[in-house]
Amino acid sequence: MAERRSGDDIVTEYLDQNPHLVEWVESLRGVHETNKQWHARREFVLRNMETFPMLQPGFPSPSLDKLLSLSMCWANHIFLGCRYPQPVMDKIKEMGEGVVIHDVPVLKTRDEIMGKGKRSSGSDIDGCSKRTKTGPSESRPGNTFKQGPSAQAPAEHQPFFNRLYKAVAWKLVSAGGFGPNLDHFEILRACTESLKETLICIFVPLKDIPDLPAARTQIEGQVCELRCQTVYLGTGYGRDEAAARSMASKEALKVFQGRKVTVKICRRRFNGRDVEDLVLLDDQPRNPGFPPAISYPFQAEQEGDGPS
Amino acid sequence: MGVPAFFRWLSRKYSSIVVHCLEENAKECNGVRIPVDTSKPNPNEVEFDNLYLDMNGIIHPCTHPEDKAAPKNEDEMMVAIFEYIDRLFNIVRPRRVLYMAIDGVAPRAKMNQQRSRRFRASKEGVELVDEKNRIREEILQKGGYLPPDEIKERFDSNCITPGTEFMDNLAKCLRYYVADRLTNDPGWKNITVILSDASVPGEGEHKIMDYIRRQRAQPHHDPNTHHCLCGADADLIMLGLATHEPNFTIIREEFKPNQPRPCALCGQKGHELKDCQGVAREKKGEHDEFADSMPASEQEFIFIRLCVLREYLERELTMASLPFPFDFERSVDDWVFMCFFVGNDFLPHLPSLEIREGAIDRLVGIYKDVVHKTGGYITENGFVNLERVELIMEAVGVAEDNIFKKRKEDDEGFKRRNKEKKKRMKAQQRGPAYLTGGQFAPQALGGRGRPEVVQNARHQAFDMRMQGRDQMNRDAAQSLKAMMKNGGQAGTSDGQDGRGVKRKVEDSDSEPEPEDVVRLWEDGWKQRYYKTKFDVDATDDEFRKKVVKSYVEGLCWVLRYYYQGCASWKWFFPFHYAPFASDFKDIKGMFTDFELGTKPFKPLEQLMGVFPAASGNFLPETWRSLMTNPESSIIDFYPDDFAIDLNGKKYAWQGVALLPFVDERRLRAALAEVYPNLSIEEIKRNSLGSDVLFVGKAHPICDFIQELYREEVKEGTEMPAELCHGVQGTLNLDEDPIIPDKLVRSPVPMLRDIAHNSAIGVKYRDPQFDDNYVFKAVILPGAKLAAKVLKPGDWERGNNRGRGNWRPQLGFNANRQQAHLDQSAFRTLGHSINRQQQGGGQYSSTPPPGNYHQGNYGRPAHGSGGGHSPAFPYSRQQGLMGAPPPYKPPQQYPSPQRGGGGGGGGHGWNRSMQTQGTAYQQNLQRGGQGQGGYTQHRGQDDRSRGHTDNRGAHQSYNSGRGYALPPPSRRYNWS
Repeated sequence: MAERRSGDDIVTEYLDQNPHLVEWVESLRGVHETNKQWHARREFVLRNMETFPMLQPGFPSPSLDKLLSLSMCWANHIFLGCRYPQPVMDKIKEMGEGVVIHDVPVLKTRDEIMGKGKRSSGSDIDGCSKRTKTGPSESRPGNTFKQGPSAQAPAEHQPFFNRLYKAVAWKLVSAGGFGPNLDHFEILRACTESLKETLICIFVPLKDIPDLPAARTQIEGQVCELRCQTVYLGTGYGRDEAAARSMASKEALKVFQGRKVTVKICRRRFNGRDVEDLVLLDDQPRNPGFPPAISYPFQAEQEGDGPS
Repeated sequence: MGVPAFFRWLSRKYSSIVVHCLEENAKECNGVRIPVDTSKPNPNEVEFDNLYLDMNGIIHPCTHPEDKAAPKNEDEMMVAIFEYIDRLFNIVRPRRVLYMAIDGVAPRAKMNQQRSRRFRASKEGVELVDEKNRIREEILQKGGYLPPDEIKERFDSNCITPGTEFMDNLAKCLRYYVADRLTNDPGWKNITVILSDASVPGEGEHKIMDYIRRQRAQPHHDPNTHHCLCGADADLIMLGLATHEPNFTIIREEFKPNQPRPCALCGQKGHELKDCQGVAREKKGEHDEFADSMPASEQEFIFIRLCVLREYLERELTMASLPFPFDFERSVDDWVFMCFFVGNDFLPHLPSLEIREGAIDRLVGIYKDVVHKTGGYITENGFVNLERVELIMEAVGVAEDNIFKKRKEDDEGFKRRNKEKKKRMKAQQRGPAYLTGGQFAPQALGGRGRPEVVQNARHQAFDMRMQGRDQMNRDAAQSLKAMMKNGGQAGTSDGQDGRGVKRKVEDSDSEPEPEDVVRLWEDGWKQRYYKTKFDVDATDDEFRKKVVKSYVEGLCWVLRYYYQGCASWKWFFPFHYAPFASDFKDIKGMFTDFELGTKPFKPLEQLMGVFPAASGNFLPETWRSLMTNPESSIIDFYPDDFAIDLNGKKYAWQGVALLPFVDERRLRAALAEVYPNLSIEEIKRNSLGSDVLFVGKAHPICDFIQELYREEVKEGTEMPAELCHGVQGTLNLDEDPIIPDKLVRSPVPMLRDIAHNSAIGVKYRDPQFDDNYVFKAVILPGAKLAAKVLKPGDWERGNNRGRGNWRPQLGFNANRQQAHLDQSAFRTLGHSINRQQQGGGQYSSTPPPGNYHQGNYGRPAHGSGGGHSPAFPYSRQQGLMGAPPPYKPPQQYPSPQRGGGGGGGGHGWNRSMQTQGTAYQQNLQRGGQGQGGYTQHRGQDDRSRGHTDNRGAHQSYNSGRGYALPPPSRRYNWS
């Protein structure tokens, strides 16, 4: 609460000091804007005024329109749920820094509604959207402000996994087929290493994971995530690290039971956000419902470091 | 109008307004197609004077049809449009005027809706292509077969917006088309054609209304002109009523719910894209002889007779013992106004008024209740009396709480029933009959899904028992197969551990419903609604008032738009949601008048206002970059992705798209910078055009126009009224006119140039009136009202002396001549029908052919399920030739027809008749009357006639109809 006060206070104070701006800034208000929306946008406009040196309060000018346009982008993003091309998003994020809004409405964009089948349902329940105080930069789930894998990444990794697929297939044949009594980790490790790659295991204590399905809230235990060449293979739970790793390998090997494996970019939860991740999939059309990622190798800026 | 349910509701409640069209088809003789001579009398036994085409209702289905393959290129689209117009012309056969109106730039009030449609269409188009590619790949991997994908560019339906090259082309093509028909078609010889293309501002239907309104207001107008307006929008009905012309008919494609659409991938019907399996087509019939005989596959047309609707309304609205004289015309206007509360293109509908929940009946009830308080009508000539509106709103507001509670109850009941139905349906087999199921179901090569043994036998046994109970008449072996197949599927998807499958809580394919946070059925709904929809606190009265004020303005604007024309091009409703009826307090002073002298957008400006960035290719380059460049000063109008509030609905396309509103000032300012970049061609496309009037050489006014060209008259010339059936207007010379004996080049390569053109074209302008002129919403003096069609309320059988012989009426003509079958015809019939066949008799389980009364809306159309059900001519024979219906007099065959033929004033059976070959059935009914046996069956008529749902009677008529497949020939031999 205190923080919001200050936000409004700053504006009031500023306008007290610059009374000539009051009338002008009020003339920028749209008919459809609520007080809340307008106050936020007003702050946005006033905060960014000096970055538009050509702007002269009281006179229409292209730079004023540019500022207004960006302020509308920002407000539309926060209050209506619109998304703009990435350069615009980056810009308004930067400009909106410091403007604090309470109680940001939770909205689903059309893409999110249409792509619902692709994402694990139920994982939306996270603290992010319910926070009472949120800066705009992290107000909306689904913003890909963070860097993800590049669009060509799947194609780059695909040849390796084609080879891995073959290696696994032969290994399983010699082991007598896929079944519960194998040492799944050994098989996967041997195969990756035979192709001169390493299998990366990331362990996290179960209790450190914020947004797990409610059914898995046993406090004890470890979670293991397997990746190879940054591509996600599988996640497993277990009493200790070895058991978790074994489960994760078993999950990963299930993917290799299909007719082929494909590297794709999929949306997953990571640290309470939706991120794009590289994932290995089989050819079965189904709802993947990934468990939340516990590591994320595609971060450019280390702003939210995961518990890795 | 944004109320798809409106027409359905209307046609169910006032069923006699619908009349099926009779259409004469072109004949073929020795391989030569003989076109229909439209100068012959209209087979519908009515003559229309004017035909108005709301062209957008034609352009859309012709350019991206839903029920057949899309045309390959623009030329094919144009030809499809020409054919469609020809078809309409053949049905309606106007004798005086053909008015074609394409949507021009719309008022700002419409822009929000247009934006939302175009932003969605753009995303949907891309998604469909992606989905198709994905599924195609999947199917091919599994070894399925799909016909090769023709490489064609995706047609972006967004180009059907004024200002695009496509629309410009279309206008050129239509000019050519008109010139061609005026020159070559005898039916067009004497008519006046007015073409109002996309360069003339205004929505198509409103341009038409403007034309009618202005013609009515000038002294030479013939008050008994018979108008026929073509278009599917429900608001055409409102517009038609608003004209107060006594003879007004609307023609539209018959709405058939749940029509099977071909799968976008394999082109077969019976499944949707996402269920496509890429299997070979199943044979229809033993030798695949029914391959293309999808029942009722061609779109039929229906007429909607507004004079009959007026009759119905007169009954419903007439009030006795009023403190003021009752004027039916005024009450019609009020009715039209109240329909706007339920939905229109310009305002979101009030949350408590839902057409499916009988909102209009509720409003009419309230209207009659409060009339004593209001002391008069709520509208006059399109101007609203807000004090009286407030009283109506107050009454609605009182009921609001209960409406929401009832809605919740109904909704839950519906969900429950739906779930049960789904359960039943799920048990039925899917896929073609030759596909084996269970253990023997086809499996992808090398796939993981190996056939599995039956798991959890108890569960399967239970399912089988349950299914057996529901479907006594199903073939046991088949259902067993189906069960095993379902079991097999479950096993492959999640039974990998080899353990038993637990029953799931919910159907796997039922998506979780989004949580409704507003919960209108619980206390505190108003606060929650304003909080979630507008993001304001309940205490913010000022904001709420602002919304109500805008809505009140909106109601005034809409009514004015319908009765007087566009009052302000600028006004719009700046919110995404409507307020509650109970919020309409002290609205009297909320509206005074609209800003005068507003101007419409230019076409390209409007494109900038309604297009998403993805459709920017229709715009000049520098204009386009304003939609994408992060430095653009209007970049906020063009989000990539936007939120959709499902608002209690299930699908994204039903929800409210939360798009930002366009700031007109900023748009104009930004465009001012790029205006200099327009090419000459683009400048031309961006300018406002004019209506064009065409006539053929034989028309009396042709010489007059030719004279104008010869003398090169510069200023506008009034049309002499006597030359053109009293049509008035101003003529101006066209810069590049179509003139007799001047070659008209064909814009479509597959059509010939017109070498000996005999048409002439000239710019046309509607009669102009003073700015303050008020068009009167009254019946004109000299107008003759149409004859009554409905059964008089106090009419009784046998007690009709002195009040004329009322008789149910089909079609337009009360005294239509009925044809009959002679003796030999019946011998032939009897011969061709197997009399030994003892089908289910009269109460056979075969359903009657789809009709409105049977509540067929929710059910898939017959035969849609991939051909398990027999094609319906066969099924119907059974019902007929079994035990004769009890009312059937024993003497001869024609008698059962009389009851049905005379009685079915509703269009229920009529529809099946249309699909089965019309002329033949016509003959049957005529037989009834011809034999003079009418009166003795009147009792029967009566029963089916009364609008109390006498379903039993209808059923038996239906199954008792259809003697056999009628011969394909059609004869129109009434005189």
